[in-house]
Amino acid sequence: MTRALSWRHGPWTALKLGVALIYAFIVGPILITAIVSFNAVNRSQFPPQGFSLRWWGEAFTPQWLGPLAFSLELSAVTALISTALGLPLAFALARHEFPGRGALAALTMSPLILPTLVTGIALLQFLQIAGFGALLGFWALLIGHVVICLPFSVRTVAISLKAMPPAVEQAALNLGATPATVLREITIPLCKAGIFAGAVFAFIHSFSDVNLSLFVARPGQRPVTVTILSFLEYVGDFVFGDHSRD
Amino acid sequence: MTETALALERIEKRYGATTAVAGIDLAVGAGEFVTLLGPSGCGKTTTLNMIAGFIEPNAGSIRLDGRPIESLPPFKRDLGMVFQDYALFPHMTVAENVAFGLRMRKVDGADIARRVAGALDLVKLAGLGERRPGQLSGGQRQRVALARALVIRPKVLLLDEPLSNLDLKLREEMRLEISALQRRLGITTVFVTHDQGEALVMSDRIAVMNAGRIEQIASPRDIYERPASRFVAEFIGMMNFLDATAVGDPDAGGRARLSFVGGGEIVVPVPPGTRSGAGLAVTIRPERARLDRTTNTAAGAIAIAGRVARVVYLGNAIEVRLELAGGGTAAIEIKNDGRQTPPAPGEDAFLTAAPEDCWVVPRSG
Amino acid sequence: MSSAHRRGGRRALHVLLVAGPALFLIVFFALPNAYLLSASFQVSEAQQLTDTLTLDNYRLLFTRPFYLNTILRTFVIGGSVGLIVVVLAYPLAYFLVRTSSRWKGLLIALSLAPLLASVIVRTYGWYVILSREGLVNNLLRALDVIGEPLRLLPSSWAITIGLAHALLPYGVLTIMSSLNGINPSLERAAMGLGANRLRTFLSVVLPLSFPGVAGGFLLAFSIAISAYATPAILGGPSTEVMATQIRNLMVSLLDWSLGSAFGVVLIVSSLAILLATAALGAKRSAL
Repeated sequence: MTRALSWRHGPWTALKLGVALIYAFIVGPILITAIVSFNAVNRSQFPPQGFSLRWWGEAFTPQWLGPLAFSLELSAVTALISTALGLPLAFALARHEFPGRGALAALTMSPLILPTLVTGIALLQFLQIAGFGALLGFWALLIGHVVICLPFSVRTVAISLKAMPPAVEQAALNLGATPATVLREITIPLCKAGIFAGAVFAFIHSFSDVNLSLFVARPGQRPVTVTILSFLEYVGDFVFGDHSRD
Repeated sequence: MTETALALERIEKRYGATTAVAGIDLAVGAGEFVTLLGPSGCGKTTTLNMIAGFIEPNAGSIRLDGRPIESLPPFKRDLGMVFQDYALFPHMTVAENVAFGLRMRKVDGADIARRVAGALDLVKLAGLGERRPGQLSGGQRQRVALARALVIRPKVLLLDEPLSNLDLKLREEMRLEISALQRRLGITTVFVTHDQGEALVMSDRIAVMNAGRIEQIASPRDIYERPASRFVAEFIGMMNFLDATAVGDPDAGGRARLSFVGGGEIVVPVPPGTRSGAGLAVTIRPERARLDRTTNTAAGAIAIAGRVARVVYLGNAIEVRLELAGGGTAAIEIKNDGRQTPPAPGEDAFLTAAPEDCWVVPRSG
Repeated sequence: MSSAHRRGGRRALHVLLVAGPALFLIVFFALPNAYLLSASFQVSEAQQLTDTLTLDNYRLLFTRPFYLNTILRTFVIGGSVGLIVVVLAYPLAYFLVRTSSRWKGLLIALSLAPLLASVIVRTYGWYVILSREGLVNNLLRALDVIGEPLRLLPSSWAITIGLAHALLPYGVLTIMSSLNGINPSLERAAMGLGANRLRTFLSVVLPLSFPGVAGGFLLAFSIAISAYATPAILGGPSTEVMATQIRNLMVSLLDWSLGSAFGVVLIVSSLAILLATAALGAKRSAL
């Protein structure tokens, strides 16, 4: 250990110093947000003046709990549907050769490549033009979130399908299991972690989305991210949870 | 041979323009242990997968106890298989792994428990039923795979390089153990390997495969001592090849006079159909060849002049590499019994061999 | 493998299971994007798209200084963000890959922490730092460096710093994975051949990790040019970027044609980045 360190110390110490500064850059703004949430006055002031839990009290009022509950529900349903649709897609893409396979793979993955914001305006425009403007709000959000979450569901399941020990399914067939039994007793249980990870990814991706939700939400049916953002945008000088100027 | 249990008739598998298996025939007797041996890409694994039903042949038929099975899906074939990496179900315990095939056959619970315990006993894993495959050593996993394949009492046991992932010592142990088990149960077995040592130790018969064809199918001893082709002679063990030409047609006993390209003559049995003037190769195993300082050898024996190029110490033997006067090299193994002084590099010496230590194969192919 | 044994009914079910999600994506993703593309070539009148085909929308984007500046500003911010991300992520990634500290796992988690906090929380922190009565102004005033508070917000460079902070974890991840792919014995070999630590780094490690650096740059760039929240919070009317402009056009001004044209510009940029990344990947696998 000491031998390994002896030829490193000069540049290595400098590197460590730089790394410490970079960590300060990473953690600083997040810590500051946390500290300011205990500020006693209604300004984005640092250092904060006094200590108060009033903004946390504000956060737990219906004005904020409503959107939060809406977001949780939206993300949960999104994760569920995205997983259900992603499963057969992942199987088809990871296991089978068929005409149009490349096109299907591209279609499935492109919501990850194209900017979410553009997917949002395209969906908004399409729903309006096609006469489904009434869907804006929860249903449009659900559709849009499933579109942008599908790549995660498909990819995680496809990865776990590819990581599966190759011959186990053949072994089950050899022991007399029908293809349906192999799927139920071998393949699905072995992909469980991937399926679960995909659902968690989809949930987080949906819950933290701003760029798509911005366009297809409607007043009263807004995820919490959009609610906070519009609050920050339209109230000039503010603190988390402050709406004294309303 | 006893009654045929498994028969392959002109089985063929092509992938586009490449032929993986080129129409082979193979009959495995009931209770027999047959090994498919060959280098990678020779078609042995494809053949095994066609028997198991994972690959569909383009042509030919596969019969199990006389009944064609080539159109049956793998789960209706009643064959037990041990895979190269064991393919144990990682999410099931050892006992659940072994019970899987019985469950699929709707054997009732009490029977399953009894038969699983019996199978684990058979492979010396009694008491480990509750472990997960991940908690077992390579050798133990191998035994679980074996128990899982045997417990369903398959008509044929298929082994796909089951020993290749074990270390040398364990591998040698398992060779003997698997063949003992196979003989005790009397189960018809097809074994795929690229390891000639395994094939020689375990098999009743070996089918040496090359480029999608069976080059020779015979007992281990015949394969080693009477190879049918240059490929078989070269693939199994070390072999010296001395090019020779037939001088006259073979006599009634199948023997012919050969003259070596580098000089000298010998009378030995030749492959059937050999004609005068045919190009042949005389093969001599290094352990059957002798190193002599003089040409004073017994009548009929051959003596080929050369110079010692290298002396390699092997432990139980000493290998002498001889550069032959007529071109080419030869290896001669001297038993390291302390009674012979190995030659020094640069010394002149003769490779000598009695006719019964020589075996003739066609020069090419 | 057992496809030959699969009965027709099962095959039909398989097709249905794949066709359903595929149809969903065609209707709600491919089709809307096709509409977007066609809208960008149409004239918008009184919040309605007319059938007239035109290049006017694009002409407007690239000639009217207000829009052109928005596009240029977006790319300049994207490029600066990519650069800052790579410059900060590289030493961090190098440290994390090479350290033998027992806190390594924790340090890696900490470097990825911004991913867990919502982009809004991350950006708000910068607002608190840079605002009129924020950390920077109060600190400088306490030290008597300045009398009057500086006007740090809204500004392009505040947006740049905010985005770089938000996207740093992506840079760390891509660079770490390419550093992890370098065989450590190459470094030992270079030092064994007489190169000192710095020379070894410059001539072995840095070139070999270049695909990760470029990949991190492109990833940060592509996310930055279409980011909305950070420019919306740290920017203002004088620092519009494409995302905020699109929002104005689509939601406030209801000029869908122009909004769509902006969207197409973003899509084309993303595809160009994808191609660049793919080319890098091909180069990497060729090595």
